[in-house]
Amino acid sequence: MTRSMVERTPGWVYALYLAIALAGLGVPLSLAGEGFVRWLAQTRSIATFDVTLQVLAGGILQGGLYAVIAMGLTMIFGVMRIINVAHGEFLMMGAYAAFIFFMWLLPRELHSLFTLNIGMAILGVGVFLLLCLPLMFLFGMGVQRLVLNPVVGGPELTPLLITFGLSLILINASISIFSSDFRAIPYLSGALVVGPLALGYPQVVSFIVSAAITGSVFAFLKFSRLGKAVRATAQNAEVALVCGINVERIYLYTFGLGAALAATGGVLTSIQLPFFPEIGAIYILRSFAIIILGGRGNYLGALVGGIILGVIEGLISFFIPMGSRLQELAAYTLMVLLLLVRPRGLLGGIADE
Amino acid sequence: MTRYTSWLWAIVPILGFAAALVLGAVATPPAALAQEPLTIGGAMSLTGRYSEPAGRMADGRTFAMEEINARGGLLGRPVKLVMRDDRSDPSTAVKLYERLLTEENVDLCLAPYSSPITEAVASITERYKCPIVADGAATRSIWEKGRKYIFGLVGPSEDYLRGAVEIAAKQGYKRIAIINEDSLFSKAAAAGAESYARQHGMEVVLREEYPRTATDFRPLLLKIKALNADVIAGGSYFVDAAAITRQMKELNITPKLWAATVGPGLPRFTEDLGPLAEYVLGSTQWEPVPALGYPGIKEYIERFEKRFGYKPNYHAAQGTAAMLILEEAVKRAGTLDREAVRAQLTQLDMTTHYGRFKVDETGFNSGKGLLLFQIIKGERRLVWPDESREVQPIVPFPPWDKRPSK
Amino acid sequence: MSNRTLQDSVRPAALPLGGKLPARQRTLQLAAMGGALLLLLLWPAMTNIYRISFVFFLLQYVVLASSWNIISGFTGYVSFGHVAFFGIGSYTTAILVAKHGWPWYLTLPLAGLLPVAWAAFIGYPCLRLKGPYFAISMMGLNEALRVVALVWESLTGGGFGITMPNVENSLETYYAGLAVAALTVAMCYAIAHSRFGLRLAAIREDETAAEAMGINTTAHKMYAFMLSAFWPGVIGGIVAYKLLYIEPDSTFFIIITVNMITMAMLGGKGTVLGPVIGTAILYTAQELVWWHLPWLHLIAYGAFIILIVLFMPRGIMGFLIDRGWVAKGVIQ
Repeated sequence: MTRSMVERTPGWVYALYLAIALAGLGVPLSLAGEGFVRWLAQTRSIATFDVTLQVLAGGILQGGLYAVIAMGLTMIFGVMRIINVAHGEFLMMGAYAAFIFFMWLLPRELHSLFTLNIGMAILGVGVFLLLCLPLMFLFGMGVQRLVLNPVVGGPELTPLLITFGLSLILINASISIFSSDFRAIPYLSGALVVGPLALGYPQVVSFIVSAAITGSVFAFLKFSRLGKAVRATAQNAEVALVCGINVERIYLYTFGLGAALAATGGVLTSIQLPFFPEIGAIYILRSFAIIILGGRGNYLGALVGGIILGVIEGLISFFIPMGSRLQELAAYTLMVLLLLVRPRGLLGGIADE
Repeated sequence: MTRYTSWLWAIVPILGFAAALVLGAVATPPAALAQEPLTIGGAMSLTGRYSEPAGRMADGRTFAMEEINARGGLLGRPVKLVMRDDRSDPSTAVKLYERLLTEENVDLCLAPYSSPITEAVASITERYKCPIVADGAATRSIWEKGRKYIFGLVGPSEDYLRGAVEIAAKQGYKRIAIINEDSLFSKAAAAGAESYARQHGMEVVLREEYPRTATDFRPLLLKIKALNADVIAGGSYFVDAAAITRQMKELNITPKLWAATVGPGLPRFTEDLGPLAEYVLGSTQWEPVPALGYPGIKEYIERFEKRFGYKPNYHAAQGTAAMLILEEAVKRAGTLDREAVRAQLTQLDMTTHYGRFKVDETGFNSGKGLLLFQIIKGERRLVWPDESREVQPIVPFPPWDKRPSK
Repeated sequence: MSNRTLQDSVRPAALPLGGKLPARQRTLQLAAMGGALLLLLLWPAMTNIYRISFVFFLLQYVVLASSWNIISGFTGYVSFGHVAFFGIGSYTTAILVAKHGWPWYLTLPLAGLLPVAWAAFIGYPCLRLKGPYFAISMMGLNEALRVVALVWESLTGGGFGITMPNVENSLETYYAGLAVAALTVAMCYAIAHSRFGLRLAAIREDETAAEAMGINTTAHKMYAFMLSAFWPGVIGGIVAYKLLYIEPDSTFFIIITVNMITMAMLGGKGTVLGPVIGTAILYTAQELVWWHLPWLHLIAYGAFIILIVLFMPRGIMGFLIDRGWVAKGVIQ
């Protein structure tokens, strides 16, 4: 009769942790007593309905972007049990691909086409994605075939390190090719005004595109044969093999798809900010937090998790003094909290044996 | 043969170590001969977050080196620059300087870029008594620690936003929001802005920091808008300044005045943001504008542009100036002896294309102030201080819908 | 699917239980160790300050890789955030020396004990997690500590960092580092040749079975985790004192974790000498490539990591053990 670690932990340990947590919260609060009161007053004055709605909307839009990135990661994690540390670098590749396309390949006259209005902007991104995604898909497949296939099913540290090595190579290769300079794409700027909300055009475009792509991936996974095969492999690769699914091929496709999704995120990022080779690092930990929030291999969870994280970050930034600094902490804290309390994720992931 | 061959336990680590020693010895440069070039060593951030400005500084130094060599070298010997990558990481820079000073035995040293790295490296150069002209650091605290071998060149980070604050105060604006990135330089710039604001009787309605990885400033901007700030001052680098400006347009927030550090001074800011960059105020140590009137500035701009294909920005000019100052000090000392060179640097009072160099007793260059420019029609035009002004600043900023193009 | 590791653990141990080699080999072994130690002791007299520093930083990584090995190689709980302990130790020493004027060597025990306390605090919750979840949670906690160091300015100086008074300390830090490295390797050796280590290996191979055999896995995992936290803290303190300036980003730097993992893996995860050899080779190689081919070095490093993990997953020591050239300890 074995006892798990949870059962072994005596009650006083839980009490101790609770005490420390309360102290951790209470002490700064009491020290900042009057500051807290002032903060409450200030917040009440600035947190009008309109503004709060704006913050929420901004968070949701941002979350849509996170969701697309996280979806690729959760797919890879779900099917192959591989934590792809190079996911951020796939994103970076997508961004640079967009850069090459918009700045070098596209003749200058056509530039203004895409900045004309929002319809053309979406079209532009869409056209570009049609070109870029198959390439990234092939690239992902290549990576999987070359370096990851030999180690699927082995200890989990191995693919972690391999993908880390891959990320180093990708970052430094792009530094050599593009230099560390910041690049940007001149894109539609300004905002879509919907009632009291001002939604930035790049964000709206990225949300629409993310939603479209996420929706297609859902549909693919749910309704198509290949999608069902992917889900089956995620649940239990051996049984799937027995059922006649070509598991190796599924691994190839999954990784390719994951890479393509990351690149989509990259393209959408490139229209919002100046980017640089190390930009992947900004998104990777957030993506980890999201897939843990959503649960391993749970695609809806990735979407929901992404939006939740986006909203929480926006709220912390707005309401908490010094909130912008703490917004980084939000992702890590959420992640660690969830791992402790509910490692299966909010929506429950594929169970680990 | 028994399987317990444990003598291999001994051989493997010793062999590995011996191999390392041999490789290290082989990699050592040969002993220096008499007419060898004069080596000046330093760190340069080829990779990492500082690579853009550091790259320009490196260009400036290369330019100076070529000039000096064209003039016959220093003390009759050709000058060679040994610049190595510090990966924008202070601990790597420390190891680099230790190596340069003890293993490579460089004759003189150059400073790295950025205040944290300079702060880390300053202890090493102090220990080896190698004087350096810190062309990459603007934070006063580096000079407040009683160091004798580090000499400042640039105006202090605390003063970067001073011009913006003064213009705002002159216009009678009362409410200012100060934001900054949480690194050494930006914090100092913001702290300076805050103290100047208070001196002028302005109310600091918001003072917030954001992490370097922040990309979404909309909640912060919304807060600022809700607090009705007239002026926004930012201690920023490049990505944040660009993102904030873009997001201001999205949210249709037009402060009466928006000033940022570093970002607007980089050529890419105007290239990438296009018409959005209009009216943004930026601080700079120097601008490639002959009207500044410093000796040799016009020829410098022309020759630099011919050599590198772009007009020098202030990082490049700093790099060149540091080399020229070092050259002058060595020439006056007549020797490479570090104490003599140091003594010359303490007394030196010279004006290069960059401005005046004269240090006070802490080693800081108190003769140098900062300049404020405004981006007007895509060009950076100086608007402050009065003696360097090219045009009058356009404040308040016209709101977004009243501006010319998209 | 490779289950090579499973086969290996079923193969009969090459050594009698208890892990003691025959007398002649033991003497040879000790003589070799003694020789290496003597070389390191006399090193400062033979060379210049840069090389002293070089060996010091190499010893830093020996400590880090060896202690990472305790929780990850011996016990099988791979941690991707081990640098957190290093960071805590660094900041402890820096704060005590710079703000309270303690002499640096007095701060070291505290620099070692605070990370142990942190390990105890996070051990209970985190050691419940398996495999990749544990790795990511460690990484997340490290990042969280980094942000805390940035934000809690009154204690850590935030982005300003902490500067310590300037002293020439190459020699004293070198010998301190050497002592710490020797003690760490000795501790690993002691663990590997003890029943405690045997139980850790049991936990690594199959935790449920170990639990069924009566091993208190919770306690053992906690002990291993706490032990693995002590020496990185101490060496963190020494490194902070040597660099004289620390700031959050370079102290809680994830690349340090990757370095120590790669070095341990190169040499052989789960062996005693593995981390030492791996560090010696990799650190030297890194330094050479960084200096002479800076534009190449990170790309080469990335490729190197991939190659090692693909072709030599059990590292150099693993390779030698497989060939039968080196005795396989019970714990491998």
